[in-house]
Amino acid sequence: MNSAKDESLSLVLIGGSSGSFVIFEDIIKLLRNPVSFAVIFVLHRGKHSSSVLPDLFKTKTDVHMSEPHHLDPITANSIYFALPDYHLLVGKDHRFYYDHTEPDFFSRPSIDATFISAALSGIPVKAAMLFSGSSQDGAEGLKLLAEKGFPTYVQDPESAEFPRMPEEALLKYRQHNLLGEDKFYKTISDLLS
Amino acid sequence: MVVLEYNQLEELIIRIRDISGFDFSGYARPSLLRRAGRYLAKYDMDLGELLDHIEPGGSLVYELIQELTVNYSEMFRDPEYFKKVRTEVFGYLESYPALRFWVAGCASGEEAFSMAIMLKEAGLLSRSLIYATDLSNKVLTSAREGVFTLGNTRTFSESYMQAGGKHSLSDYYHVAYNQAIISPELRKNIVFSLHDLTGDGVFNEFQFISCRNVMIYFTLELRQQVFRLLYDSLSMLGFLCLGKRETLRYSGLEAHFKVIDSTLNIYQKIK
Ligand SMILES: C[S@@+](CC[C@H](N)C(=O)[O-])C[C@H]1O[C@@H](n2cnc3c(N)ncnc32)[C@H](O)[C@@H]1O
Repeated sequence: MNSAKDESLSLVLIGGSSGSFVIFEDIIKLLRNPVSFAVIFVLHRGKHSSSVLPDLFKTKTDVHMSEPHHLDPITANSIYFALPDYHLLVGKDHRFYYDHTEPDFFSRPSIDATFISAALSGIPVKAAMLFSGSSQDGAEGLKLLAEKGFPTYVQDPESAEFPRMPEEALLKYRQHNLLGEDKFYKTISDLLS
Repeated sequence: MVVLEYNQLEELIIRIRDISGFDFSGYARPSLLRRAGRYLAKYDMDLGELLDHIEPGGSLVYELIQELTVNYSEMFRDPEYFKKVRTEVFGYLESYPALRFWVAGCASGEEAFSMAIMLKEAGLLSRSLIYATDLSNKVLTSAREGVFTLGNTRTFSESYMQAGGKHSLSDYYHVAYNQAIISPELRKNIVFSLHDLTGDGVFNEFQFISCRNVMIYFTLELRQQVFRLLYDSLSMLGFLCLGKRETLRYSGLEAHFKVIDSTLNIYQKIK
């Protein structure tokens, strides 16, 4: 089974909460088929809002989008959204795993759960980003990714609609790259090319 | 925050096996890694300390196993599932003079009690036998006592109603010492017993098997093996119910089942 693993797979990880939805939408608009990596979005949302994100963003990109199932293989040129009410973990066998243990900081999916599992998976992370939100979730995961030597970015709290999330990330680890208001999408677009 | 690496997790798995005989090697690593990391964080220790503390004869290793296996359950969990079983499956089962059900991975019994209540209301309980199994003796002991905490009864009552319950949940338990105890009449048709889905084999043939919130623990390979066991334990045209969070995907047996409900993952064995 391992022989089917695509050794060139890399990940882009994107986490956000309140105030991040519009940013996600704009990032998705930047993605054009084909992309050489897999993008995983983790957005905090209510327990019952299933299957809406790929639908909502359908007209914004021509890259394939899905809310992956437990054990689905992770492949390049795909956009994934963590499903509500599960943590979405990245396995080192290049598959997704659902986890239904307690929420982190009242959130399931938790950004930390996805980020930490990705950091430990051995799959290279091209970039990890954390945007607006009013929770502490994501800070631990982003720190671990940075410590593993992967490029990490946080939205400048000054320009975030809800600054708490990027602030917590910077409190835990000062050296994350800042995404300021100025050239915000230009920088992200360069990262994703 | 303590982060455990994959190689450390393997060390822990071996240590647990050496001391307790419990083998996690067939359990999905990413979730195990998360749960083990959270366990360490909760008690503020690192792996070295934990390894030092889990000693033969001590109770810590069993606590740890308990924590890593997760045996959360509740009455009428995911009520829409029970509703579907009632509307889509019971009608079919009515034609059998005797019925055998298997609740695999039953934890402290709530799922088996819920099934028994539904069968009773459908007039099927007297000809039904429910085998409810788990690999944890601890949860089985609690299941046999038929006790759940009173604090949750309000939520459970709501779930019971949403599942299409015809009476009141309180008709099925009595209260003693601040606990709710399931009525003995319901328990008469339930047999709780120890069974390891990953090691033990087929022990009977069933018209109905439910295995909810259990498969998620297993690696892809072990999961396929467990699916095979469930398949072999089902009579032809019997039902396999996985609930809201599990599907037949990657089981290798998709072609042997007809989908009865794709959201609640109710399947019927057709070949
Ligand atoms: C989360 S509970 C699910 C309880 C119930 N089915 C429900 O959905 O509410 C999972 C149960 O599976 C049991 N389990 C885990 N591995 C098992 C195995 N190899 N064989 C049998 N039971 C197992 C655990 O002990 C635990 O009680």
